[in-house]
Amino acid sequence: MSDFSPSHVDRDAAPGRKATRKDLVFGMAGSGGDGIVSAGDSLLQAAAAEGYHGVMTKSFGSQIRGGESSCRVRIATDPILNPGGNLDVAVALNWDDFLKFGAELPVSGNTVVIYEAATNIAPENIPLVGVTPLQVIPVPIAQMAKDTAGTERAKNTVVLGLIAGWFGIGAVAVMKGIRKKLAKKGTELVDANQRAFDAGRAFAIENPLVKNLALIASDNKGDVKLITDGNDMCAAASIFAGCQFFGGYPITPSTEIMQFFTDHVWSYGGSVLQAEDEIAGIGAAVGASFAGKKSMTATSGPGLSLKTEMMGLASIAELPLVIIDVQRGGPSTGLPTKNEQSDLFAACFSAHGDVIRPVLAPTSVADMFRITIEAFNIAEYYQTPVIVLSDQEIAARKETLDPIDVSQFTIIDRQVPSPTELHEYKRFRQTENHISPISHPGMLGGTYLCSGIEHVESGAPTNSGNVHARMNDKRTKKFDPLKQRKDLFEVTGNPNAPIAIIAWGSVAGVCREALEMAHAQGLNVKLMVPYLLYPVAEGAFEDFFASVVNGYVIEQTHLAQYFKLLRMHLDLPKGVRPMARSGANPFLPSEIVASLHVLLSELQRSHEGNLQPQE
Amino acid sequence: MSPTGTLEFQAKDYKSDLKPIWCPGCGDFAVVQGIYRALAAIGRPPHEIAFVSGIGCSSRIPGYTTAYGFNSVHGRALPIAQGIKMANPDLLVLAAGGDGDGFSIGGGHLPHMVRRNMDIAYIVMDNQIYGLTKGQLSPTSYKGRTSSTSRYGSLEEPVNPLLYMLAYGAGFVAQACPTDLPGMAAIIEAAIRYPGFAFVNIQSPCVTYGEEGQQMKALKAIAEPLDSIGHNSADRLAAMDVAQHYGTKLSLGIFYQNPEPPPTYGDLVKERQEARSKDALPRERILDLFIKK
Amino acid sequence: MTTPAIDLAHLSLKDALDLAILVEDEAKERYEEFAHQMETHRTPEAAQFFRYMIENESKHGRELLARRVERYADTPSTVTRDMLWDVEAPVYDAVRAFMTPRKAMEAAFAAEVKAYEFFDGALASIKDPEVKALFVELRGEELEHQTLVKAEIAKLPPDNPLSDEDFVDPPSAVD
Repeated sequence: MSDFSPSHVDRDAAPGRKATRKDLVFGMAGSGGDGIVSAGDSLLQAAAAEGYHGVMTKSFGSQIRGGESSCRVRIATDPILNPGGNLDVAVALNWDDFLKFGAELPVSGNTVVIYEAATNIAPENIPLVGVTPLQVIPVPIAQMAKDTAGTERAKNTVVLGLIAGWFGIGAVAVMKGIRKKLAKKGTELVDANQRAFDAGRAFAIENPLVKNLALIASDNKGDVKLITDGNDMCAAASIFAGCQFFGGYPITPSTEIMQFFTDHVWSYGGSVLQAEDEIAGIGAAVGASFAGKKSMTATSGPGLSLKTEMMGLASIAELPLVIIDVQRGGPSTGLPTKNEQSDLFAACFSAHGDVIRPVLAPTSVADMFRITIEAFNIAEYYQTPVIVLSDQEIAARKETLDPIDVSQFTIIDRQVPSPTELHEYKRFRQTENHISPISHPGMLGGTYLCSGIEHVESGAPTNSGNVHARMNDKRTKKFDPLKQRKDLFEVTGNPNAPIAIIAWGSVAGVCREALEMAHAQGLNVKLMVPYLLYPVAEGAFEDFFASVVNGYVIEQTHLAQYFKLLRMHLDLPKGVRPMARSGANPFLPSEIVASLHVLLSELQRSHEGNLQPQE
Repeated sequence: MSPTGTLEFQAKDYKSDLKPIWCPGCGDFAVVQGIYRALAAIGRPPHEIAFVSGIGCSSRIPGYTTAYGFNSVHGRALPIAQGIKMANPDLLVLAAGGDGDGFSIGGGHLPHMVRRNMDIAYIVMDNQIYGLTKGQLSPTSYKGRTSSTSRYGSLEEPVNPLLYMLAYGAGFVAQACPTDLPGMAAIIEAAIRYPGFAFVNIQSPCVTYGEEGQQMKALKAIAEPLDSIGHNSADRLAAMDVAQHYGTKLSLGIFYQNPEPPPTYGDLVKERQEARSKDALPRERILDLFIKK
Repeated sequence: MTTPAIDLAHLSLKDALDLAILVEDEAKERYEEFAHQMETHRTPEAAQFFRYMIENESKHGRELLARRVERYADTPSTVTRDMLWDVEAPVYDAVRAFMTPRKAMEAAFAAEVKAYEFFDGALASIKDPEVKALFVELRGEELEHQTLVKAEIAKLPPDNPLSDEDFVDPPSAVD
């Protein structure tokens, strides 16, 4: 094919047909050797370069290489609320691998299915049960790769060419990115990729789709965009918040947080220890906090279980500590590469004794920055371990983001004793707000015994019931102001709506999109996204539920953990029920909207004509 | 001399007001005296010392000093001590515990302490039994020992703490006993002064659960100073040879001390921080790392 | 240096007096620790005896201090506590929970013997005649104390062949 200089780039997929789409969800699957994730990455980068918003998620089988591999890339002209439900475009390099991802790559009647012709399956015979896609196109991807680049491994570049041709994304930007990535590897490799790309694009242009699905141009081309994933964002936010020590142990899907620290923390005078096990990891973080530094650890479910004892120690010793739990399928080893929200009970309740341990949850890569800073602020101010419940989805997905104005954030440090307070210093002195200034080694006059054993105000051990009750009071009542904060809850929609949905973490993103769809269909629904999961802020919820007749608590837990947690602390309206399912079974905005219609019917049956139109 | 001034400290400056709850006659009383003396000789002010322990009778020891104490959870003194040292390398960091705390539940942390080689001194009060929980077997109990968990005698060979630490490659390994008080204090001092991870095993009899043959009188009879046998403490293999007699002979002194201590973990971290901070983005601009280029 | 050596050959009288005071201090402190331990471990009779010994050591210490002050006022001392290790203080191993008064006295007796041996053993190395005289005097004191304690022991009824250990609760787990 001829070369594609910029003047030949044509946003229209075929002459005379205008681009119309503002949003496209791509899902691609193949085996590990097919470079699917690489392709998704290139696509995301290209989209960002062209001024689009983009989100990419990945999903794998359990082999380290060569197993089934998939990615999903959603590209849009407007900010993206969630990685997306049904696919607009499905790319299957082979059907065995594609099908392994089941509900993670949902195909509907609106999906264009592109698949490897070499699978020798006729378009009418593709193994998708119960659905007739919009269009099914076999493409000799492997052959094209072989012919142009000399190797079938260039399949992913062919796919990128097809996408550029059919959907108008990345015609120039993709190859620019690939060129940059492979710059050190020599021109032959780059040229081979160029040829493969061009072949794909040409095929697309010569075989237009039945419907024009090209993306319209973005107005924001040239704007500065950040691209990063939840783990990297968490680590960067931690360093920004002043974290000087990370102690941890590798565990999927949290390891990247530690890796970021090993790359960057040295530059800020901090340090990081990959310890010999999970317990040593959090142990070292506890030590660093005792020594006066902001410190953290990160893990997933299995590690959280191991860290339980140390968390209890930090609670009774009133040491600030941030623990990031990037949730995955449980229990035990569970599903290491899949998303779930079932660590909630463990985060709130594990570690014996009467302990309150704040639990926060971000909902996206963007708010991961804010929530991580909040976690450090809460840990330092209340002198407590704080758990941030991230999840595999948020941790591993890459999002494009607008730059964040960091000057809006306040960093809070632990309260240290004043010179007067260091005179006859009592580490655990009963104060009005139950928070006693905390010293650290090196501070003259501040010496104290820190321990897991119950203690009097000075820190000396005691087994007195009286003292114990007072200390338990101190350690629990100090959190009362936290429960009063309104800024840790996000309510969208008519505040007096009778129908409600409540969701946290990555599920909140799906619900935000569902809410938009519901409002567009005239439903009077409101959404509550709590960032503070525990302690349960009864006040905020009582306000929220005042107008509510029915609704759903939507979560990826088999036992409806959050629903039950709320019920422990609140009288929920009778019509509020759980919508809960095991991990690796994503929610779709459309199914949530359908369920809301069911609630509406119920409502209409029982309260005739009492509804306000959506404002 | 301390970095904060030229104060001279005495042993009593390191002794807190908290009275030990140990049984009268416990060997740990002498050990803590040795620690006071060693710290006085070194002269760091108490507030610049962090003293971490696990759980057990001997782990109560930080509370009896005027240092910043941290009586943590069973077997986890060493990870916590490492975190403290990494957070503030200028502190004098000590760790202590019993034979169970150190060689049973805490056993997994030992080789990593050794290979990281942070400047931390670890004192184990070895009495071959679990005292605080009422007399169960410990990892250093001799085979055949009867106890509350071995009515018919233990079936396991004991751990040899000295041999293990020498085999792990520790740069300073010593054994002491209150049968020789000045010797014990001197060894503790030497361990703290050693620039790297230092291990001292102190035979500290348990008067409540220990057997007759494990009390001071009996220990005196089998004590043998390493000096008296012309031991060369720069020879690790010679040290391991002597260490094999743990349990039958009480060899006292420095088994091994690396004559050329390598840089500590802290030295290496400091180097790295200096190198990496040269062209670093200021903290407020850390998100620039994510700018799509 | 954790235990600096005492240079007996060049010991001055001031140093010797100060040393003797420290020996008493050390012993007094040890008896205080023991008294507390006995009280905490519900062994009141032994505690009572140790409190009596505190008084003894204090008295002797005060006498020596008076002499020192008379001769040397409050010129700073050059000897320190860390030069001593359990000279007249009974070793920690000497006590046990539920120990009988007899055993407590025997512990004190053993300590006095140790102190005697310390002063006696030092004599050969001492050059200064005044210091020598002091050490002879102190040695003599120890002998007197031994006699006193022996007399106290003699007053005691024989120890019950059944030890308290046979009656008290077994040790309990506290952690």
